[in-house]
Amino acid sequence: MSSFIEVKNVSKSFKVSKRAKGIPGTIANLFVPKYEEKKAVKDISFAIEQGEMVGFIGPNGAGKSTTIKMLSGILYPDSGEITVNGYVPYKQRKDYVGSIGVVFGQKSQLQWDLPVIDSFELLKAIYRIPEKMYKKNLDRFMDMLDMWEFIDRPVRQLSLGQRMRADIVAALLHSPKIVFFDEPTIGVDVVGKEKIRSFIKKLNAEDKVSMIFTTHDMQDIEKTCNRLIIIDKGSKVYDGSIQNIKEKYGTTRQVEVEFDRNYDISPMKDIMKNVDIKELNEACGRKKQFIFENTEVQIDELMNYLLQNYGVKDINVSEPEIERIIGKIYSGEV
Amino acid sequence: MMKNDTMHLAGVYTKYVMKSWFQYKVDAVLRSLAVFLREATGIFVIYFTLLEFDSLNGWNIYEMLFLFSLLFVTYGILILFFTGLRDFGHTVRTGGFDRFILRPRGLLFQLIFCNADWFAAIGHGGLGIVLFIISAGKVGVQWDVVTILYYIFAIIGGVLIQGAIFLFLATLNIYLLETGSIKELFYFNAREFAGYPISIFSKGIQAVMIYVVPFAFVNYFPAQYLLRKPDMEQYPEIFMYLTPVVGVVMYLLAYGFWRFSVKYYKSSGN
Amino acid sequence: MPYIAFGKKSFMLKSAYRFDHFMGILNTIVRIFIFWVIYKALYGSRTEVEGITMTMVTTNFILSIGLEAVFYVHDFYLPDKIGNGSIATELLLPVSIKGRMIAENLGNAFFKLLYHFVPALIVSVIIMGIEPPASVSMLILFIVSALLGYGVLWTISFVVQMSAFWLINVWSIVTIKNVFVNVLSGSMIPLWFMPDWMSGIVEFSPFSSIYFTPVQIYLGQLSSGQIAYKCLIQLIWIVIIYMIGNLLWAKGKKKLVVQGG
Repeated sequence: MSSFIEVKNVSKSFKVSKRAKGIPGTIANLFVPKYEEKKAVKDISFAIEQGEMVGFIGPNGAGKSTTIKMLSGILYPDSGEITVNGYVPYKQRKDYVGSIGVVFGQKSQLQWDLPVIDSFELLKAIYRIPEKMYKKNLDRFMDMLDMWEFIDRPVRQLSLGQRMRADIVAALLHSPKIVFFDEPTIGVDVVGKEKIRSFIKKLNAEDKVSMIFTTHDMQDIEKTCNRLIIIDKGSKVYDGSIQNIKEKYGTTRQVEVEFDRNYDISPMKDIMKNVDIKELNEACGRKKQFIFENTEVQIDELMNYLLQNYGVKDINVSEPEIERIIGKIYSGEV
Repeated sequence: MMKNDTMHLAGVYTKYVMKSWFQYKVDAVLRSLAVFLREATGIFVIYFTLLEFDSLNGWNIYEMLFLFSLLFVTYGILILFFTGLRDFGHTVRTGGFDRFILRPRGLLFQLIFCNADWFAAIGHGGLGIVLFIISAGKVGVQWDVVTILYYIFAIIGGVLIQGAIFLFLATLNIYLLETGSIKELFYFNAREFAGYPISIFSKGIQAVMIYVVPFAFVNYFPAQYLLRKPDMEQYPEIFMYLTPVVGVVMYLLAYGFWRFSVKYYKSSGN
Repeated sequence: MPYIAFGKKSFMLKSAYRFDHFMGILNTIVRIFIFWVIYKALYGSRTEVEGITMTMVTTNFILSIGLEAVFYVHDFYLPDKIGNGSIATELLLPVSIKGRMIAENLGNAFFKLLYHFVPALIVSVIIMGIEPPASVSMLILFIVSALLGYGVLWTISFVVQMSAFWLINVWSIVTIKNVFVNVLSGSMIPLWFMPDWMSGIVEFSPFSSIYFTPVQIYLGQLSSGQIAYKCLIQLIWIVIIYMIGNLLWAKGKKKLVVQGG
């Protein structure tokens, strides 16, 4: 049996007009426009099962939003096949979109001048949501996201975080089977972000809704998703769990040691060749940092060496931040 | 059942569109007046001009006002249904069209009902009705069953013709970044011409008004059926009866272009 | 000078919409053409009406509609900023919003003068003909008076935009303003043909000094004394209307600070 979401060898390119620079160029462009072909997505394939939460990331212009647009039925692929929940999104639009929800963090779908509840009522009519289901969903989401206090306020008077919560609910009222989140926490403060993340997690756990995120905030992904798809320059460069990416690419280790006094440890450089040593100006120079690749240096070897030769007060080993790993993938270091 | 559900949604949309307008009360109320005055500008011009010049190619001031009234009555009705098409460029640029695609309803249906400019409709329609009242009794038309029925069909045809032009121009937004000027040229300027008996224009402009942007069928030919001015002689008599046909045919063509363009949008993005 | 940069940016932005731009030129020509055709039909075989020849009428339309295209004022510049709340942050920037607004409008106007007015003028003159300027000095005075006319139009728009501080949505008021500008400035009906009672009103409004005064100077219809008088009136209108606008600007800003937007 095929998967819930199936993407097979999908490609998409666009024609973009080239803009010349400066006033003379602008004037020249008035008369002779120039176009060039840009390949946005190149032969991407993946499959997602029901109830999965997938982070979909990549640098700007990598082809994320093009892929999301194809998955949600806004764009046709040039070649390849997409099926979601048994539908071909770009062919069976009206039947398909009733089963998905889309949140664009930067483009609200709420009625700007009207109270939040009015937008919900309108969506109820648009999606033909039965009264019972509407009431149930509304009450539940309002409680979960703590929205009762501003439900009667016009959208234009809401804070960004409140508006985002309302937009998320708007995309969920019709109980979609798949939800696409495009930058769902952009511009929202830390507390607001946390509220949104825990809501999404809970919803996924309770309702088995499939979710796909695109975001710049790696915290969003780390705290909600178990799977990560990275695309860069139109191609898929990673597909797997977050744990796996850390093990595979996160080989850098960082050990922070606080010694009992300020040692001169330069002789160590000859013995442990691949370890980078940094002096930290903390605790009167007693703190030092050791950075190395765990493929080249065994951590217990380093520990043993330090403990045997110096008086150590405290040791702190840290794994690399996911941001740094992703950054390395983008820049082609791994 | 299906139809009923669609009507229900149209009703819900209308309720919230009205509510949105009334969020800014001063502007909403002044809007009708502003539209009325803006459109009446052209009438002032005719009025002042004819005070100085008596008549225009045999048309006196009342006949001219009658010609104008048809234009405004049809536009008043039109704008109730086609405001969304008027503002479609903005909808495409801000990603609103993507949102329509993501909802399980007809695209054109959403576009038509998500916005209706009630106040502009009152301004335009009101002006049309005022002009009709001023002129209808003074242009020598016998208002009986036949002329009234003719008038109603002419209005429906006129709305469809302009609706088709609106739909066509709106659809262009899928291909072009900015279409304000094309709209200005092919709709609003063409309508400016249509305020006058087309017989005063050169053959080229007349051809445009009859065959390209057929405003002549919105007001000139229907007015001629009712007024029978001598300058009708130069056109085939059947033109006076074609308005509803032209309306239906044009609307179907525009709708076909729309369907084609939506496909194009989905394959090219924007 | 940051303002030059704003003007330049506005100039470049305008040129980004190529197709729209060409249609805009065509549009101006067509507008002039419509009035020309109508007045030709009205004149019929007459050579002049009340001492005004058809060529003078043509000249009036070419110049006033042409200038109308150049005299670009973005009526929703401030209302948009007030509506979406960005005015609050922009007030904190070290450049004045008013200065920026003038610079951007002028950048636009300059673009339109070169790439809109000039081609539209050439095509219109080829099709319809035009009365030559009465003399070189009149041509220069025409330009001076046209610049003052832009000043009047700009300050009127400035005052109207200020109402956004209180009303937010100002589409209606802007539209009503434009009705007055269109009817009373001579761009839609040559003011010669206004009935006497209307001419009286027009004389005492600022609108006629936007397009009609420059046109009259161009055609040599005014004596040097009258020119000086009319230009002085333009200047006075600019000062008075600008002062009103400034007063409202100060009040509006205060309201913004008190209510926090």
